[in-house]
Amino acid sequence: MNLKRQLGLDILSEQYAFTTDPQLGHTSAQKIPGHWVATTCGYCSVGCGMFVGVKDGRAVSVRGNPHHPVNFGKLCPKGLSEHYTLEAPNRARYPLLCKDGKLVQVDWEEALDTMVRRFRAVQEKYGPDALGVISTGQLVTEEFYTLGKLVQLGFGTRNFDGNTTLCMASAVSGYKRSFGSDGPPGAYEDLQMADVIFLIGANIADNHPILCQHLEANPRKTLIVADPRVTKTAMLADLYLPLKPRSDIALINGLIHILIRAGAIDRGYISRHTSGFEELEESVARYTPDYVSRITGLGEDLILRTASLYGGAKAAFIGWTMGVNHSTQGAETVNAINNLALITGNIGRPGASPFSITGQCNAMGTRESGFTSSLPGYRKFESGEDREALAGLWNIPVARIPTARGLAYPDIIEAAVGKKIRALWIIATNPIVSFPNLDVLKQGLETLEFLVVQDGFHPTPTSEMAHLVLPAAIWGEKEGTYTNSERRVSKVNPAVNPPGQARADFDIFLALAKKLGCYDQLFSGWTGPRDAFEEWRRVSAGRLCDYSGITYELLEQHGGIQWPLPENTQEIRTTRLYSGGHFPTEDGKAKLLCVQWEPFPEQPNPKFPFVLNTGRTVEHWHTRTKTAQVPILERMSPNAWLEMNPHDAASLRLKPHDRVDVRSARGAVHGVELRVTEIVAPGQVFMPFHFVETNANQVTQSAFDPISREPNYKQCAVNVVPSKSRGEKEI
Amino acid sequence: MLLPLIQRAQEDGVRFALTPMAPQPVSQHVVQIEPFRPAPGIPQRQPGPGEQYRFHFDMSQCIGCKCCVVACNEQNGNPPEINWRRVGEIEGGTYPNTRRFHVSMGCNHCVEPSCLIGCPVDAYKKDDATGIVLHSADQCIGCQYCTWNCSYGVPQYNPQRGVVGKCDMCYGRLTDGGEPACVTACPQGAIRVEIVNISQWIQDYGGSANAPGLPAAGDSISTTRITTPERLPGDTKKADFWRVKPESPHWPLIVMTVLTQLSVGALATIWVQQMRGAPAPLGLAAVAALAVAVLALSASILHLGRPIHAYRALKMWRRSWLSREILLFSAFSAMATLYAAALWRNLAIGPLFGVLTSLFGVAGVAASGYIYRVKARPAWNTRHTTAEFFLTGALLGPLFAASVGVLPGGWLAAAAAAASLQVFNQAAKFLRLTAAESFEMKASSRLLSTALKPHLLLRGALAMGGGIVLPLLSTGRLTECLALVVAAAGEILGRYLFFVSVVPKNMAASYLTADKEAA
Repeated sequence: MNLKRQLGLDILSEQYAFTTDPQLGHTSAQKIPGHWVATTCGYCSVGCGMFVGVKDGRAVSVRGNPHHPVNFGKLCPKGLSEHYTLEAPNRARYPLLCKDGKLVQVDWEEALDTMVRRFRAVQEKYGPDALGVISTGQLVTEEFYTLGKLVQLGFGTRNFDGNTTLCMASAVSGYKRSFGSDGPPGAYEDLQMADVIFLIGANIADNHPILCQHLEANPRKTLIVADPRVTKTAMLADLYLPLKPRSDIALINGLIHILIRAGAIDRGYISRHTSGFEELEESVARYTPDYVSRITGLGEDLILRTASLYGGAKAAFIGWTMGVNHSTQGAETVNAINNLALITGNIGRPGASPFSITGQCNAMGTRESGFTSSLPGYRKFESGEDREALAGLWNIPVARIPTARGLAYPDIIEAAVGKKIRALWIIATNPIVSFPNLDVLKQGLETLEFLVVQDGFHPTPTSEMAHLVLPAAIWGEKEGTYTNSERRVSKVNPAVNPPGQARADFDIFLALAKKLGCYDQLFSGWTGPRDAFEEWRRVSAGRLCDYSGITYELLEQHGGIQWPLPENTQEIRTTRLYSGGHFPTEDGKAKLLCVQWEPFPEQPNPKFPFVLNTGRTVEHWHTRTKTAQVPILERMSPNAWLEMNPHDAASLRLKPHDRVDVRSARGAVHGVELRVTEIVAPGQVFMPFHFVETNANQVTQSAFDPISREPNYKQCAVNVVPSKSRGEKEI
Repeated sequence: MLLPLIQRAQEDGVRFALTPMAPQPVSQHVVQIEPFRPAPGIPQRQPGPGEQYRFHFDMSQCIGCKCCVVACNEQNGNPPEINWRRVGEIEGGTYPNTRRFHVSMGCNHCVEPSCLIGCPVDAYKKDDATGIVLHSADQCIGCQYCTWNCSYGVPQYNPQRGVVGKCDMCYGRLTDGGEPACVTACPQGAIRVEIVNISQWIQDYGGSANAPGLPAAGDSISTTRITTPERLPGDTKKADFWRVKPESPHWPLIVMTVLTQLSVGALATIWVQQMRGAPAPLGLAAVAALAVAVLALSASILHLGRPIHAYRALKMWRRSWLSREILLFSAFSAMATLYAAALWRNLAIGPLFGVLTSLFGVAGVAASGYIYRVKARPAWNTRHTTAEFFLTGALLGPLFAASVGVLPGGWLAAAAAAASLQVFNQAAKFLRLTAAESFEMKASSRLLSTALKPHLLLRGALAMGGGIVLPLLSTGRLTECLALVVAAAGEILGRYLFFVSVVPKNMAASYLTADKEAA
């Protein structure tokens, strides 16, 4: 600090000066850019349109796009500070290779040569499927499409999955089972048009705050929120259902039971567009209000009222997120939700949809164009017809296309522990924080012969374990498209250059293809993401997720377009799937599937008497790789906390702000700040999973949905004791 | 092997890509965004005579997303630890009938702004046309008195700049017909700007300016209108209710207040001794006491963010107790200088200077007391504050005089009486805080009886030891010096407790805090 400042002659007037800018008005002078770049937010799947302000090659400010149909100019606190992520001190800048136990800087040639050589060596020694690849929902669709071909056809391993399996695989499986295909049927506009909105296990006020304005724009709505925790979203509800953890299948079956009894169902729709009603009717017979009340803990009157509101609605919308998906019965819960929507005809109409609200900015892009749990374009591994069609489009022998999917994410980890997977490539995800039952994961990663982590950030707890780190460009530095929860495709544009030698994931994939020698066959002539997008348009043409009418130019012009948009569509407007009641199943009818409620796998017991629920907070994104580097977000939410009901705190003699340890049969989290609060019910505790310093996944369990392979993050049995530590990082 | 320059550029983190695979000219994606335009969140006319702008906050709409906080920081270029708009949380009820809401607050642009009333340099202005309370960083000297005066904690000191800053309702945007940044950012439309008729508001602000999680609006007549949700439970509390932490000790002010009080006490004692005709080196003693005062006043300058502009603090003596205190202590020092000179020279006018010195000193100590007696800090806002300050002077003054050899031992009964009264005063203050209704006073008592309990007990012991026990033991010069040191240590510890144990009024905060907790 200089003397002039200490005396008070200097008050940093220049740094704190204001200027009146024609675009921004009167604003801090340091925030006024030289030019603006239009793009889409890179955090969650809401898909907000925004502008990045660039001055002298640096992103200095952001603004919401007032004309974007998703956000109307608004952004959440993460979006409003997204430009800070680009200059985060932990950005990965150079390829790093482990030599003598230390990561040292190498050039790209050496990095990629080593990667291909080591992967090939492992595959030659142990077979092609000894290579595993775990990708993400963070890349652009062009990159997912390219990566899928590179992994499955170039590297030739089927063991390829994404962190999306930790997030919305249950929704994907549920949609496929009920409707014959993935794809959320509705649109955000439905939130404004429905007269009943039923949110199940979805805390949108914290996790998708920009969606709330669509609710607010609907004056007629009745909002029902089902959540064991009194979330910020529960506070918006007209009717709040404080159900017991993981009792939602019982609740939904109960609603179906009541509506069938009352005749408040659409028999015409059921007979024309669904199959399996008789079996469904029989399967819900035992879900009487009394039985459901005992399982859910809700009063019978509350259950009846919910049924009468939903059944009486002209258009009813069901939205869900992780409260449903993060479950060993996740896919089946989605089926139960779909059953409820189908028997009341609440699908394919304005305001009426069973709608999964997705997580990551481009989880949808990988669902559609990826090559993990299905073939690109919602094609099925099992379908010879689909494989033939793809082989034709790609001009390759059909035999090269696998006939079944490879291992899902949790099974790849298990295979690593069992030494069936020997080399792993992790792209833009941080499993050390996000994967359940950390100790098993660490054992798996430590067993690997070669681990490559490709990420925009280093060090992350995961990249620290890598043998090779590839520095990638992130949002704001590369071009492509994201698809949001409502199937809206939006353009993503570079505003600044990536730091150091970091490169767009797309470039890395093409460089690898050249090293592998498959570039000419798979990506002939490709130089940029547009080439991938053009091929993807052809590959998706005629499919449910038809992108063939969407071009980069149309996207720049419209700021976001929903699929399906077949080529030569004249008018661009809101689309809903299944509006004609025709479903992509063998008989063209949606399936009503019988689903039975089961208790969650690890029940509280005398040793571990509490049910631990995990979730998020509005200030942070996933494993905090980005948001911990944004000072204002980190300041507003600096550490994890554990919510506990005052009754329980009193019996354990714990006080607010005490530091506690959370223990399960698998491990312990040390030094979490206790929040004594009526937000949670007695017997339940809640903590956010964002924080590596107090990592909730030290205690969560390895229990996965048998259908979707999604982890059961939301319930496990723990105990809570006063802590001796202050929550220091333990890894 | 990289070339040395490139190697260095890489290590320095220079932002360029060395071998971009598919170079993407970034400029290709440049767009023109629409000019900034008038917006719906503000009134479509200017306030008329007798009217002003105000915020409306709809608590039932707020989802606690904190967009307003981020947008405000971006608008004003503030560092993350300074938030001119803040969001707090309140909670009440019993599961599952729990009710939790959020309070978002910038400045309330009060009818009687206590920041403005206390400011010694006229850095604040209530704008005639808009009623917005504006703060001038150029005028501000960084005394931070406004940060004590505001019941909402609105003005915040920026140590990087050495001045205070606050929400100005985005004056520059508003007067150009645009919305404040928080209004634009709010996805729920929970923050708006409205026009209010001031005289009508003074009549009926009670119902709509008060809300759970906020201090009473009457302290300064906040103009913010708050729509509260229906069915708020009676036990609704701030989420940070249990997080009470000690405030900053303000060491320069501890030194300044204790030493000025000592100096006033000492010079008054010297004057009394002169009146008694005591044969003692009074001139030397007066110079020593004066030196203490000068040291004390110099120390206070260190407290300012902009010490070079300290002189400006005299400006607002008609309104600000801080200006008055500085003026009175300046007069006290000047008069003490004359008095010391007169004693040294044995001038006949000496006693007159002596009485004036004492009077200015006493008035100065009284002004000090009034500085701290502000509504926003209930534990300070009692007579115990004034009593504590005078008793410090009454205890340390005679002990100082005795130490420099101008007070016979027998007279130390005065110090003993002061020490007893000081201990009594502290005990009475503690009981009053404990018995009080207000959250802040109770919380102060909680601090004093938990984390600060050893400090409080030691403080009492030092006052007794230095003021009563040691003077009783012997009247030797060494003991008297020791007594002074012990008693002064007690008063300094007491003043430390005074500063750290006050719990200011403030809006609700989040449950978590980024501040490192004091152990």
